[in-house]
Amino acid sequence: MGVQEISPILEAIDLHKVFGKKKVLDGVRLNVYPGECLGIFGLRATGKTTLLHMLVGLDRPSAGLVKIMGSDIRKGDRYKALVGLVTQDKSLFQDLTVAENLDFIASLKGAPQGNITSLIAKFYLQDYLQMAVNSVDAGVFQRLALACALLNAPQLLILDEPVKDIDLYSQHLIMRIIQEFLSQGGACIYGFSNMESSQNMHKVGWLDNGRITVYEPAEALQIWDSLLHSYNNIDGEKDE
Amino acid sequence: MRNVMLFVPLLGVLLFAWLYSAQSLNAIPTAIVDLDHSRGSREFADKLTGAEKLNITAYLSTYQELQEAIAGGRIVVGVVIPKNFEQDVALGRQTRVLMIIDGSNMVYATNASAALLEVTRTVSAEAGIRTLVGSGMQLDQAREAYKPIAFREEAWFNPTMNYAYFLVLALILNIWQQCCTLASAMNVIGETGMKSWLQIKASGVSMTRLFISKSMTHIITFMLMVLPLYFLAFRVLKLPLQCNFGVLMFFTLLFVIAIHSVGTLMSSAVSNAVDASRLGMMIALPSFVLSGYTWPIDAMPPLLQSLVWIFPQTWFFQGLNYLTFKNPGGDFMLPFYAGLIVTAAVCYAISIMLQMWREKLQ
Amino acid sequence: MLRQILKLAYYEILHILKDPILCLMVFIAPLAYASLFGAVYVASVLNDIPLAIVNQDNSELSRDVVAAYRNDPHFKIIAEIESYEELEAGMKTGKVRAGVVIPADFSQKLSQNGQTEILTVYDASNLIWGYNIRKNTLEVVNKFSADHTAAQLAGAGLSKHEIQNVMNTIDCNITVWYNPTFSYVNFLFMGLIIMILHQLGILGVALTITREKERNTWLQYLTAAIPAWKITLGKCLPYLVVNFCNYVLLIWLSSQFVHVKIQGSVFLIILLGLLFDLIITFAGFLISVYTPNSLMVTRYIMLLSVPFFMVSGYTWPHTHIPELLNGMARLLPSTWMMEGFRLVTIKNLTMTEVGPIFLIMGLMAFLFTGLSLTFRKQSLPPNTDDLAVNCGSTYPRE
Repeated sequence: MGVQEISPILEAIDLHKVFGKKKVLDGVRLNVYPGECLGIFGLRATGKTTLLHMLVGLDRPSAGLVKIMGSDIRKGDRYKALVGLVTQDKSLFQDLTVAENLDFIASLKGAPQGNITSLIAKFYLQDYLQMAVNSVDAGVFQRLALACALLNAPQLLILDEPVKDIDLYSQHLIMRIIQEFLSQGGACIYGFSNMESSQNMHKVGWLDNGRITVYEPAEALQIWDSLLHSYNNIDGEKDE
Repeated sequence: MRNVMLFVPLLGVLLFAWLYSAQSLNAIPTAIVDLDHSRGSREFADKLTGAEKLNITAYLSTYQELQEAIAGGRIVVGVVIPKNFEQDVALGRQTRVLMIIDGSNMVYATNASAALLEVTRTVSAEAGIRTLVGSGMQLDQAREAYKPIAFREEAWFNPTMNYAYFLVLALILNIWQQCCTLASAMNVIGETGMKSWLQIKASGVSMTRLFISKSMTHIITFMLMVLPLYFLAFRVLKLPLQCNFGVLMFFTLLFVIAIHSVGTLMSSAVSNAVDASRLGMMIALPSFVLSGYTWPIDAMPPLLQSLVWIFPQTWFFQGLNYLTFKNPGGDFMLPFYAGLIVTAAVCYAISIMLQMWREKLQ
Repeated sequence: MLRQILKLAYYEILHILKDPILCLMVFIAPLAYASLFGAVYVASVLNDIPLAIVNQDNSELSRDVVAAYRNDPHFKIIAEIESYEELEAGMKTGKVRAGVVIPADFSQKLSQNGQTEILTVYDASNLIWGYNIRKNTLEVVNKFSADHTAAQLAGAGLSKHEIQNVMNTIDCNITVWYNPTFSYVNFLFMGLIIMILHQLGILGVALTITREKERNTWLQYLTAAIPAWKITLGKCLPYLVVNFCNYVLLIWLSSQFVHVKIQGSVFLIILLGLLFDLIITFAGFLISVYTPNSLMVTRYIMLLSVPFFMVSGYTWPHTHIPELLNGMARLLPSTWMMEGFRLVTIKNLTMTEVGPIFLIMGLMAFLFTGLSLTFRKQSLPPNTDDLAVNCGSTYPRE
């Protein structure tokens, strides 16, 4: 991949975030290169969503900075055209139809209409176009969410639990499209909380106590398994 | 929520007491244009300075200036003494003094008009007598003809025509009742959020019991809210209170229940707190105008005269005026009590029916 | 790109149409309120004021006094009340609002040059009654005095011409400018209309961003590269149009059905409307951007209606309002709009005379428009106000 000469699409340098007295992020550093999928593993309330929102400019860090394509995201909005976001909490327009969501968000992003048609085909949304978004099931919703994130043909995707608890067909479709995106040079930051899915990623950033430790996926899985094992043992011993 | 309820009506007291601190409409800005510059015209002008409610703020030199001053709102009453005034009067020739009132503000205009009418009567009489004497009539006889029939006037219930007495209490209570309506609109939806609502439901507490205890809390809070307002109004600002304070509190309690019932109805009719507030607001907004507290009900078209009594605010503000200024007695107030009770009964009943109908649908 | 803005506007309209209460507020309520208030004030003048005559004298003179009141269209004599006690009771219960008391020995005392007087009483518990009755009473009294004097002079042998001469030696001609009929509608009505437009106008648009924030869709706007000014224009466009249409509609309604005097330069009226429209729409938009949730917005706007109206000096005049409060009122667009509208339509003033008002409104319009077009696209910190949970439109009942 010739990673040494290529600069990272996203660089997060020493991010800190404090909510009241609580230190949510305590010096987070990470970067992600084209074609790479960086998983952010964090259990509930570890600050995963806060971090992901910070990377896309929705939230401001108490200290530290984020660079996308080499420029500080605090200066100007141009980086937003390069990024697509899928949020954990639903953020599509519930009172509009699937088609209207695509149309409106494409317009917000200044994306050409052609993108809409190709994405509808890619995500197999043809049958759902006239349905109100608050009535489609979770799998279709997530497909739509990712489609909306791809409308502006971004170079960086930030995904927060995109396939959690959805049907297998949609899961598979979404993962396949992400792989396709990566193979075309895009980068992805993928927030997740189920260690089994880490095998799809190139690197895993384990978020714990406000800090990130980056592992190879196999390594991360190993650590996770041994943690599980040790808890089971404790219980086991107690039972005996 | 509590912040809104507690502080806004108190802020209202501060605002309205301050706003109407001038209390009576005296000192109406008046200008005199003396085109004669004679002793006679100056004497005439002095009569105007003596007029109780007028405040001579300017002596202008031309009619044009007066026009501009009135148009610009700096002067409300203008008096133009024409050229040759003194001469004409002395010669018994008719002379015309122009008195102009800016009619665009009725608060000014009615008072200015009254003030001028008093002046003109005296002025006409004196001038007339002089003319009669000048043309040969005996002074006694002349005086006889003009013998003023003394007219005295009494303003009942509010002898000094004190605008603050008239309006401040009502405005304060208007804000308070808007706050109460807003708070009541939360009754069925609840303030504690969906998740805890679901928990309450799951725990099996009777909906009726919950509703009643919440309502009682609301009603008690509203009454506690009004106490400092009444204290400030009657003890500090010394606004009129002819009736017994207990009677007023009783009347207020009935109103609180009625308002609460309207808010409850709003919140049963719609599906979320914002909509309930908006609906509640849309009803509370025109309620003060419709209550006839200012522009009287008697002056409204007959159909509307009946319709306005649908609103509890009408019963309350009408009753408030009677109780605080006139104290007309228990018998007279009975329909007011009844009106509020009936409103409450009807609104609660409809709310309950709506709830039951909803449950049936589910 | 105009396309983006129009699309934003299109979806905003779509949303308004899907929200029944918003539809009500934006399209129907202004007309409904205006009609309601129009009906309230349509009589415009207080006539047929219930008046009681307590005539204890029954002389010809006293009957002349009674006749003077009877012939005045402002009063309506309530015949059932004849004694002073009945008058007191009637005033207390509102059966009558004014009374004339002629004491028993009135004409007798008068002819003997003794002290006697006719007493007029009026209900000042409501100063609308109070002020008007007082003025009307003085008119009756003045006219009666004049007629009485004329009769006396005729009795003394003067001719009609001579009497005229004497009576009009100093003829005080009271003219009322701008509103000669003392119509309450000309005085008050358009102020109420402006307040209605102000409140409903702000309230409609003030929910536009808070709604997105509550539904978590605001981040779609924040993460897209679309500049703030396009969001502003797109979202505000429908409201700008509707608010102006309501302005025109309500003026037409007031003029046609309530017969409010609306004269003056059409150009100035339209310009006032445009400036007002810009001010309230963009003020509402700013409120929406910087307020965390819709419930707060609704509450506070509603509570401010009456105070804004009262401090403006539109009714209780600003010369009788404390200076500091006046100063604060002058910060409000509603104060300027109400005054400006009155000066243009009732007093018929020209641009040179009302220039300052247009200047200030222009500055306010510029300020609000500027602030709205340049708002910072950032998400507010998470809302800890527990009320926020209740505000979604999908929040189910029970």
